Amino acid sequence: MLGFLSARQAGLDDPLHLRRAESTRRVLGLELNKDRDVERVHGSGVNTLDIEPVEGRYMLSGGSDGVIVLYDLQNSSRQPYYTCKAVCSIGRSHPDVHKYSVETVQWYPHDTGMFTSSSFDKTLKIWDTNTLQAADVFNFEETVYSHHMSPVATKHCLVAVGTRGPKVQLCDLKSGSCSHILQGHRQEILAVSWSPRYEYILATASADSRVKLWDVRRASGCLITLDQHNGKKSQAVESANTAHNGKVNGLCFTSDGLHLLTVGTDNRMRLWNSSNGENTLVNYGKVYNDSRKGLKFTVSCGCSSEFVFVPYGSTIAVYTVYSGEKITMLKGHYKNVDCCVFQSNFQELYSGSRDCNILAWVPALYEPVPDDDETTTKSQLNPAFEDAWSSSDEEG
Amino acid sequence: MSRKRHRLVSETFGLKRRRERGDGEADPLRGESGSARAAVAELVRLFPRGLFEDALPPIALRSQVYSLVPDRTVADRQLKELQEEGEIRVIQLGFDLDAHGIIFTEDYRTKVLKACDGRPYAGAVQKFLASVLPACGDLSFQQDQMTQTFGFRDPEITQLVNAGVLTVRDAGSWWLAVPGAGKFIKYFVKGRQAVLGMVRKAKYQELLLSELLGRRVPATVRLGLSYHVHDLIGAQLVDCISTTSGTLLRLAET
Repeated sequence: MLGFLSARQAGLDDPLHLRRAESTRRVLGLELNKDRDVERVHGSGVNTLDIEPVEGRYMLSGGSDGVIVLYDLQNSSRQPYYTCKAVCSIGRSHPDVHKYSVETVQWYPHDTGMFTSSSFDKTLKIWDTNTLQAADVFNFEETVYSHHMSPVATKHCLVAVGTRGPKVQLCDLKSGSCSHILQGHRQEILAVSWSPRYEYILATASADSRVKLWDVRRASGCLITLDQHNGKKSQAVESANTAHNGKVNGLCFTSDGLHLLTVGTDNRMRLWNSSNGENTLVNYGKVYNDSRKGLKFTVSCGCSSEFVFVPYGSTIAVYTVYSGEKITMLKGHYKNVDCCVFQSNFQELYSGSRDCNILAWVPALYEPVPDDDETTTKSQLNPAFEDAWSSSDEEG
Repeated sequence: MSRKRHRLVSETFGLKRRRERGDGEADPLRGESGSARAAVAELVRLFPRGLFEDALPPIALRSQVYSLVPDRTVADRQLKELQEEGEIRVIQLGFDLDAHGIIFTEDYRTKVLKACDGRPYAGAVQKFLASVLPACGDLSFQQDQMTQTFGFRDPEITQLVNAGVLTVRDAGSWWLAVPGAGKFIKYFVKGRQAVLGMVRKAKYQELLLSELLGRRVPATVRLGLSYHVHDLIGAQLVDCISTTSGTLLRLAET
């Protein structure tokens, strides 16, 4: 570390080199920390989390009871011990609350004034954050599994919605109606994701084992259907063009948009080149996945070798993206983990699970040098950890 | 110019965090960390030739190679190179989509010739071994490939299926197969379940590797305990945990 600092100081190294090195070191040291907590508000499993891309300060969570909660992640107290408080929430008593489980929430990519949520009650709702009212509602014929809005789009405000039907619907926020439909899948669409590199490229994953890449400006079908055998018929058992040997549950582009990661119920994760749809054949081993709906996983951003954080049963598995090496398993939840998000400014990971908890995984810091002054150290101790026993050896 | 500058960041922070594996020699099964070819050669030595009266070529499994070469992507790449060079053949074993058997091409050729010696289909098999095997390194063959590129007629293809060299996959395509491999697959599946059962019945569903290897071999395990243990580790059906008493095998919960 000192080598990187002095190299940067002397101008031998790019400043970005030090930043990426430190980010990587912090991600490798992710663990549960007794000083960081997220307030427990949900009464049933947390299905989805999203951190706003502008400041990385506010986090949305959607639960299986239809409740949406907004948290403030910033630690503005001077204490190391900090609970991320819920700023506001759309609870069961709210008139516009979703009737059934909220499957996906997403902040409006350009500011925190708006967010979108989709749910099993066949609606996609657009919310105004300041008044906490539903500004618009899109109704569909089938339950909505997933939706996504492009993070880099400037020329369109399309929200891609994946439902239980085989058609991907694109809803336009400006006009308030579904502008067009992408046809090509044969079963329900479990995950959709826009490319972070090109504003018109969309990837969709379906239960028919196929992942398709679309250019939404094109009227005729999809651009590429990802094929796990890269066109070699000799390896495929059934008809080719499937991305996985089971349902495809989750999709995530890497932060530069050049690669796409997919997970499927065949317990595999695959890395694809997003420009030509080629399977890079990186072998991550068995990535256990029995989720019948979408699995939300995430990729780190800003490290020298990117890491992917995948929910693996009740733990979170961390792999390096391009070499497939398993770094660690983050254990802490009591039940199945459903979603995780990465805060790239501080290299923190937040994960939500069916045990109604959201856990914060924080890089293990160096222990602070203890002060000579006794009183200051005492006041920093969390009252829950103080014991009421007398410290003398005699009874009473 | 400082030499340190050119080191990759991932090397600085990744590898140094993992302590060096100094106990590689103490554990008999985990010593190998070299190339895929060395791994396949070692696994082929574990195969019990006498059980099949030397009629089968020694078969190793891809999952076993993963247990000896820990980095799966590198192992896949090296196996693919060996396959393209024609040094090994990869066979689809029917019981699992991912289970691929790996055989040295020389062994395969000698055993298949020995198996079809003096039989009516010997001619077709020899033609197949001479023309198709060196040319096409895939796991399966298509109808038009066989008839047009290699000039096989339908009766000849039927003879190849009868000989056990090809297995029907669907209409117009065939898997490459080993004659007489059915017995091997039966023993393998039963043996795998038996060894997994040994771990499952242990207290807390975990067993020290040394203890597992020292136990009495159940009658259903015909291929050898270490053969099955490599396969279980590589297929991630058991988790391998290094402890101070050696390697511990714990049943994977998922």
